[in-house]
Amino acid sequence: MDTSNPAVFVNAELLRMHVGRRVRAVIQVLRSEGGNSVIGKSTDEQQLVIKGRPPGPLSTYVEVIGIADSNQSIQAEIWSNFGDVLDTVAYNNVCQLANGDFKHLFI
Amino acid sequence: MMFESSQFETTAGGGFVSSQSTDPSPASAKSRDNQPMYPVTVKQIIEATPSTDDKPNFLIDGVDVYNVKLIGMVFDKSERLTDVSFVIDDGTGRIGCHRWVNDPHDTNEVEGLRDGIYVRIHGHLRSFQGKKQLVVYAIRPVNDYNEIANHFLECIHAHCCSSKLQEQNRAPVSAPLSINAPNGSHAVSSSQISQEYNLDGLGSIDKMVLDYLQLPSSLAQEKGVHRNEIAQKLKIPQEKILEAMEALESEGLVYSTIDEFHYKSTAS
Repeated sequence: MDTSNPAVFVNAELLRMHVGRRVRAVIQVLRSEGGNSVIGKSTDEQQLVIKGRPPGPLSTYVEVIGIADSNQSIQAEIWSNFGDVLDTVAYNNVCQLANGDFKHLFI
Repeated sequence: MMFESSQFETTAGGGFVSSQSTDPSPASAKSRDNQPMYPVTVKQIIEATPSTDDKPNFLIDGVDVYNVKLIGMVFDKSERLTDVSFVIDDGTGRIGCHRWVNDPHDTNEVEGLRDGIYVRIHGHLRSFQGKKQLVVYAIRPVNDYNEIANHFLECIHAHCCSSKLQEQNRAPVSAPLSINAPNGSHAVSSSQISQEYNLDGLGSIDKMVLDYLQLPSSLAQEKGVHRNEIAQKLKIPQEKILEAMEALESEGLVYSTIDEFHYKSTAS
């Protein structure tokens, strides 16, 4: 069984703890910058830069999986459209729990 | 609702656990048919240890686990004549999955599978040639992505309940009584965890429907039981049956088979 691809649930605040590692984050798309990156709002309401080219049109909420390359940016490998309606509070709570008390279930 | 007031162990409580599970402690005669459905992360599966009794089950948080549910992304889908295999990656790890394709319903279910989509999987946890695998009996693409956060919250919840139960078991308890109602399927753990979360979610109609689906005659039918039949036999209006099915399906206790009218209990 391959365990080499776990991606940590992060929001903006948790991103800084995982720079250089594979992460996953849900963002609300704010705008795209020159076709090579997208500016989004994390589930804890901060701005993140998602680098890379989206494979197609993006919905309002997108999950990106990739490598965290700074405190505020992610080099995206996989983009998943999560639709236009999402409970970001729930997702944010999962991020906090997955990095906190229940880390052992996730990483 | 029947709550026996003695205290004891083992149904890992929580709303996601099927109410029909009796006493899954290793000591009692374990029938696969009564195994509850556990929401898990792949990491939990990876770390699961083989069960202590002779059954080829696994222990997660000290609880015997056979039926699991997962949400993750499909990778490496490979179709053969009678089965489809793929890998599920839920961000905590990857696990190989296998879905036997026996009839048009099965074919429909797997046709929609593509690499890169999120799906919800219900299956049995098995070991094959030393590797853990899932034998999947139900797959659905995720439509509402809130399901993902929800699933992980359920995993956390399940883990909390099982851990509490483990602690309770370790603490000295005076003669835990094992309650088995005459027909077995109504026995209910009265541990506080169960009372707080579990059966309040399932109404009495839901339980009647579930019990009907778990009769040997129902389980024997591969295509499941038609909703109308249940309505007639139980003398319950169709709309109530429909509501019950939705509730049971969301708890992972039943799944629809050849069409939206036929259902089977996941315990089969």
